[in-house]
Amino acid sequence: MSEGHHHDGSIAQQVREVEAELEASGIVSAAELEAILDAMRTPADGARVVAHAWVDAAFRERLLGDATAAIEELGYSMHGGVRPQMLVALENTEAVHNVVVCTLCSCYPIALLGPSPPWYKSEAYRSRVVREPRAVLSEFGLELAETVEVRVWDASAETRYLVLPLRPRGTDELAEEHLAALITRNGMIGTASL
Amino acid sequence: MDDRFRTGERVLVSLPDSPGHHRAPRYVRGHVGTVLAVHGRHVLPDDVVARMAEPHVEPVYAVAFAAGALWGAGDHTVTVNLWESYLEPAEEGR
Amino acid sequence: MRVNDVGGMEGFGALSVSESDPPFHADWEAHVHALVSALVRRGVFALDEFRDTIERMPPTDYLETSYYERWFRATTTLLRERGLLSADAPADG
Repeated sequence: MSEGHHHDGSIAQQVREVEAELEASGIVSAAELEAILDAMRTPADGARVVAHAWVDAAFRERLLGDATAAIEELGYSMHGGVRPQMLVALENTEAVHNVVVCTLCSCYPIALLGPSPPWYKSEAYRSRVVREPRAVLSEFGLELAETVEVRVWDASAETRYLVLPLRPRGTDELAEEHLAALITRNGMIGTASL
Repeated sequence: MDDRFRTGERVLVSLPDSPGHHRAPRYVRGHVGTVLAVHGRHVLPDDVVARMAEPHVEPVYAVAFAAGALWGAGDHTVTVNLWESYLEPAEEGR
Repeated sequence: MRVNDVGGMEGFGALSVSESDPPFHADWEAHVHALVSALVRRGVFALDEFRDTIERMPPTDYLETSYYERWFRATTTLLRERGLLSADAPADG
């Protein structure tokens, strides 16, 4: 029942009550919570990182060598959370497909992709993708050739992963900002191709 | 302190199934994998939850496991990030 | 061995993936997420302690609650354990 919504009404009320008590006692402030909510509602645009890597070979090399440092060139940081994290970029090729999961909880590159989608947090995804990734990917509509090597990455510690998808064919003429519009969240988790 | 394991080395996930908070998924416990890289040094979560005054800070390794060894089937790899104290050198022949 | 440790476990069925998949089903879920971020940043509890509290939910409760319900229950549990909350909200134990 992890997708259940059966207690929504009463839970919404309980959350408001807990917030009010914590604000009254000064443990958190309303302004602080609103600022965090605003940041979460701002669409994350990690696609810019991928688009830049597609058009700038030197940046791509830096991203694959040390993604934590490379994304700072574009104004992103892995140090904005409660403790510093490391970012690793995983390069999809014609021969290798990468896909990311967190089996123990829901670790995810929020700094680049925003809060994760519900399926990423589901027991179905977390339990199955490490055992049968090809079957899981086919449920996303992604059918990989048998010759493609599949690498699953379980984000069980302080490392966060960003999949660098294959650039679609026929996009050589597109400018960087138009390329970014082609790049989907699922493409950067590894559950879609572009 | 130097990292105990090197890239390419075979390691055994040796963490027992003791109570408490540990970040080694059970599906790799008792299995042998290959160190792909060191992913920095990080505070051991087990110590934080145990409220130790000075929690250990250890190297964390990206360790790749063959699906066939984990599940008896599959041609993919699964890479897990594991703190140093979860690991032992793999014995020859494993 | 804890209930959250589901890698490789069988029986959870097919994936439920929709076209849009917004991160939150309801506004209260975003509020819970923000509250946990604020409490961890302020050092009221550590992220590891928060994860531990979700993991030590009774397995039957864990499997019957939604993702952000677990977050909310763990938050109120930790706040009560630290004497920082009196409001009557669900908690474990």
